[in-house]
Amino acid sequence: MNVAAQSELPLIRTRTAQWAPALAAFCALLLIAATAEIVLDGAVGHSPLIPKSPQIAGWLSGVGERLGFRTFLIAVLAFSAGYAGLLALGRALTRRWAIVLIVALHVIVFLGPILLSTDVFSYIAYARMGVEHGLNPYTHGPIAITHDPVYHYVGPDWKHVATAYGPIYTLISYPFGLLGVVGAVWGMKVLAMLASAGTLALTWRCARLRELDPVRAIVIVGLNPLYVIYAVGGAHNDLLMMAMMMGAVTLTFVGRDAPAAATVVAGALVKATVAALLPFMILARRSGRQILGALAALALGLLIGFVAFGVDGVNIVAALNRDAAFVSTDSFPTEIAHLVGKPGVFPIDHDLLKGALVVVVLHLMWRTWRGYDWVAASGWALLAISVTSTWLLAWYILWPLPLAVISRDRRLLVATLAIQGLFVAHQVTPLLAPVA
Amino acid sequence: MSGTAGEISQRLQRLQPRLRPREREAPGSGRQWRIESIVLVLVGVLLAVATVNDVVLGTHTNHRLVADLRTWREYTGNNYKNVSTEQDARGHTTTDVVCGNTTPGPPKERIQICVQMTGPVVHGRRAARGGWYLPPKAEDLRRYRYGCYGTTKAQEACPR
Repeated sequence: MNVAAQSELPLIRTRTAQWAPALAAFCALLLIAATAEIVLDGAVGHSPLIPKSPQIAGWLSGVGERLGFRTFLIAVLAFSAGYAGLLALGRALTRRWAIVLIVALHVIVFLGPILLSTDVFSYIAYARMGVEHGLNPYTHGPIAITHDPVYHYVGPDWKHVATAYGPIYTLISYPFGLLGVVGAVWGMKVLAMLASAGTLALTWRCARLRELDPVRAIVIVGLNPLYVIYAVGGAHNDLLMMAMMMGAVTLTFVGRDAPAAATVVAGALVKATVAALLPFMILARRSGRQILGALAALALGLLIGFVAFGVDGVNIVAALNRDAAFVSTDSFPTEIAHLVGKPGVFPIDHDLLKGALVVVVLHLMWRTWRGYDWVAASGWALLAISVTSTWLLAWYILWPLPLAVISRDRRLLVATLAIQGLFVAHQVTPLLAPVA
Repeated sequence: MSGTAGEISQRLQRLQPRLRPREREAPGSGRQWRIESIVLVLVGVLLAVATVNDVVLGTHTNHRLVADLRTWREYTGNNYKNVSTEQDARGHTTTDVVCGNTTPGPPKERIQICVQMTGPVVHGRRAARGGWYLPPKAEDLRRYRYGCYGTTKAQEACPR
């Protein structure tokens, strides 16, 4: 670099710093406008992007127009651009404004309809099967309650499918089943908000414990487009799993090994994926208390699951095997199959993917044993699970994000955001060639 | 660290140095970091190429489906919105079948005419080589088809 160029650099930095607050405000407004557009248009209903649901956001329906693919994709791309801008601007967003923006986006999404997924109606259906109809949700699908008002809102693919969630989650969801369908939807929305708040608060705490910038950490997680629009918008129970995951990480950071391991196990009895943290935690800490904590929590959780739901309630492996066989068009294995000229993934591909995942996890375990950051290793494992899964949904690629922002390996954050970027890019087909 | 952990650590120290657990990574692990980074970049490139390829394929498919709809509307003279398009899920060819009502009414509630489209999109349209009819409320299954015309006659697309 020549001398003239070197002397220009501080000038450019000063100018950027002068403009940073204004640019950050513009990006923040972009995020709010994009979210409001999706929610207001979604409230009108009759959209393929909004699942059939009871009228919970009818009072918003007079403002927008029916949400089409084109508007939705433009809003998601605008949100992503604003998010990328805020990340590029670094510390332009102060602590107070970061929190205000996150809360504002959460409130907008909270007030609107359920976005993009029927999953929440499956949660409610399983709860109502248990508390209203005396049926075991681990042995019956929602098809067993065709006369129940929630049945019409369950996604067609899930009507015959028994629950794949852990017994702790099913028991947590049971009280919502008593609230009626509308009450249960609001209850699930409140639960998702609380879980999101917990995830962000614990991410903040972990960042501080690791002497990282906590504002940057919650901005990356709490303003993420997939997090706000898909996870919070759909009131997904992945948020509860992530809150428990971050609780376990916090407990490990403050040296409380047994409760940390117990929290991972409890999280796995909400949604099994979080169990991926346990081997890395144990290899890094090598504490007997951790193993005892994990075993005690597992024994208690399985006992509760068995008493409440019988042997099917604790057979998580069967549920995971069943779900691992599903195939979605957005999954990376499907895309690679198309790239090599195959119509989709075949049973042999599932075995190859499982083999690749085992190799990755074993490598990460060895690296953790030899001193690599266990938080980063756990994040890589969760990212590998989502990339090798033939059933990929937007909220699955959020799992590693809170770990990525507090890990000591910057590559994990870059890789997680890159994978999310590819997922969003894969959605743009209707924008390039709209179907009349 | 607890007493149990201390005992575990003592036992683990008996392992060979290259197998022992470490609290922090060895300073010389930069080569491993580089290899991992190269693998990550290669995987990233593969996923990016696969994504772009899928978007291009999807765009072509949508382009074709739009041409199918336009062709069906011109061929039948009916400007209906609710017509169904079926792709060749078995042979994975670009042959599509578009079915819609012959007279106004709710979807599939009237006699339906199905048109088989083949070939490339030319001026926003595709070649309609033949087709068949379906009775009201029937899905496009071979047993329900009748009145095959054009090339579908030779293909024995209709049972009689």
